[in-house]
Amino acid sequence: MAATRKSPHADAAAVIAQMGGSKSQARIVWEQFRRHKIALFGLFVLAAMYLIAAFAGFIAPYGINEYRRTPVSAFMPPTNVHWIDPETGRLTRPFVYEYVSERDPVTRQRVFVENRDGPRYPIAFFVHRPDHPYEILGMFRSDLRLFGVEDPARIFLWGTNNLGKDVFSRVLYGGQISLTIGVLAVWVSLSLGMIFGVIAGFYGGLVDDFIMRLVEVLDAIPGLFLLIVLATLLKDPRNPLAQAFGLSMTSGQTFLMIVIVLGFVGWGGLARTIRSLVLSLREMDYASAAKALGASEMRVMFRHLLPGTASYVMVVLTLAIPGFILAETGLSFLGLGPSEVDSASWGLLLRDATARGISIQFVPWLLIPGIPIFLAVLCWNLVGDGLRDAFDPRKRR
Amino acid sequence: MLPYVIRRFFHLIPTFIGATLLAFMISQLVPGDFLTTKALEPNVRQETIDRLRAQYGLDQPVMVQYVRWMGNIVRGDLGLSFASNQPVMNVIRRPIQNSLYLVVLATVLLWLMAVPLGVFSAVRQYSLGDQVVSAVSYFGLAIPNFFFAQVLILAIFLFRGFTRDTFGYTDLVFPVAGMTSNGWEEFSPWRQFWDIAHHMVVPGFVVATAGIAGFTRVLRGQMVEYLESDFIRTARAKGLGSRSVTYKHALRPAIIPFVAGIGALLPSLIGGAGLVEIVMAWPGITPRLIDAITRQDIYVVLGFLVISSLLLMIGNLISDLLLATVDPRIRFS
Repeated sequence: MAATRKSPHADAAAVIAQMGGSKSQARIVWEQFRRHKIALFGLFVLAAMYLIAAFAGFIAPYGINEYRRTPVSAFMPPTNVHWIDPETGRLTRPFVYEYVSERDPVTRQRVFVENRDGPRYPIAFFVHRPDHPYEILGMFRSDLRLFGVEDPARIFLWGTNNLGKDVFSRVLYGGQISLTIGVLAVWVSLSLGMIFGVIAGFYGGLVDDFIMRLVEVLDAIPGLFLLIVLATLLKDPRNPLAQAFGLSMTSGQTFLMIVIVLGFVGWGGLARTIRSLVLSLREMDYASAAKALGASEMRVMFRHLLPGTASYVMVVLTLAIPGFILAETGLSFLGLGPSEVDSASWGLLLRDATARGISIQFVPWLLIPGIPIFLAVLCWNLVGDGLRDAFDPRKRR
Repeated sequence: MLPYVIRRFFHLIPTFIGATLLAFMISQLVPGDFLTTKALEPNVRQETIDRLRAQYGLDQPVMVQYVRWMGNIVRGDLGLSFASNQPVMNVIRRPIQNSLYLVVLATVLLWLMAVPLGVFSAVRQYSLGDQVVSAVSYFGLAIPNFFFAQVLILAIFLFRGFTRDTFGYTDLVFPVAGMTSNGWEEFSPWRQFWDIAHHMVVPGFVVATAGIAGFTRVLRGQMVEYLESDFIRTARAKGLGSRSVTYKHALRPAIIPFVAGIGALLPSLIGGAGLVEIVMAWPGITPRLIDAITRQDIYVVLGFLVISSLLLMIGNLISDLLLATVDPRIRFS
């Protein structure tokens, strides 16, 4: 029957499929990547971190800048969560005590102690806090929090900072800044790097010389200094570029500024890589064929040569992200990152630990925000290495 | 060799001009200038402002300002610091020197630690030691150095708590802030040197960490590749001792990319030193640079940018020359 007759191509495809032969590149890479247990672990941790950051409002018991003036809650140590009922000695529903501040009789330092004679405050799950709503991904508004305790007790899993803000909540919100800014900045860098890299590699000669000189010039100024100068100047609402945004920049706009600055400082290396790839690709037969068929220069560059660099670029990209995360947290650590009012980059949180008059040995919990930076950078590195091996045919297993 | 050096040197000139131009353009993004704030002071007259503006050349078009500034740089004059009213060179000399101390120490540490570790890992591939080195270098690459510095400071304080309770020893094992102790000026020269060296240990190590980790990992990869290659087998077959094979035949080609990379290392070290300087109150470039930016002391900012980029380019030049010396495949033509 005509309806059931298959074309010879379909037959061939079926045979190949049976042999488990022709797999798409993406499929092969994924299969290779999956065998890389450590890289897979990195991927899972990253996925978890991004999820937590996205749902920070739900998981965090408090708002990003929420604090109470009285009673004083500055530099409170992590709240002790009790699992054992002190009277029966048995496992019980987790609860906390209220903390009261006292003066140390010897050093006159303020210390916080549990009020064990007071009532116990069991940790409640899925509590509504109508006066502290939040948004998830800028779309869903809610006031439901994963856990919390009743007033006047409070639960600070990772202690509080100098203003009495909850470090745990702020670390969760901080992920929204620190985990995204690197990924966005890499795209800025990539776009610049691709455009300049392809043009330099394709045209060669004077154009190439000019672009590569430009990259060298950018390289000749230490990146951190360029970042510091640019970030300070561009965030100043009086500068000509910021004027274009309007006099008072919203936090979204400063965020964007930082992304652009990071991307601008980092594109040189990517351009250099893509250029050298294009240099060899343009000598390939398929590039000559495309030219012979009358394809325009633009078409050859962006439809034929650029895709050829894709696998390599993907690896370089993944391995560039941790660098951008470090750069952003570093800038924020200097206080030059996204504005302080409604963001809490991990770098900015670590800055609390260096504030004047703080001795770190008394408030070690202020260093906790460094751990997620470390984890994120580590995992992006692991994933990048895994991807590199997966793309490398010599390392096929 | 000399013609090569000269040619490379002339090659630097356009890059240097480009870098200074870029820096100057960026400085023009500053809203107003130093005198704008001065003009707000009630007891300063408009004529004074105008006179100062003319004196510093701030009333000229941007390109004229640039050319004038550039001309002065060539003559070794970086201009005047508005804020402290003295030559920029005097303001920035000490911080740059202090930062270089750290960078040089970090570079030395880097080579001293990374080469043996990398060789060890490659020779004992997949051994327990190799795996430990690999794991530690992953950690070293991932930890932000300002955070690492903070953690070390905490550790030093905790260690003091321990020594105080057990031995009654109340000093910190390493100083955690600044470059000198109190009363440093009165020390004997030898003790002055010793004091600075003592203060350098922690920041120097922190600055070197990421470099050591990265260097070790790449060197291991290179060495492994070379150790499996034919010429090594030949050398072994000839009966050469394993020490000679490892160090003379495998390490030499494996280390070439790093010699080339010394120049590229400088910016990351200078940059990396920056955040550590802030954490550990090291009187280096970065704290002064930030200070100058907030005061809109624009020629000091530019001075830092120019001198650091000059250092960078010289570093690159040196590494190119070293590369040409180490790698016999490179000719000076």
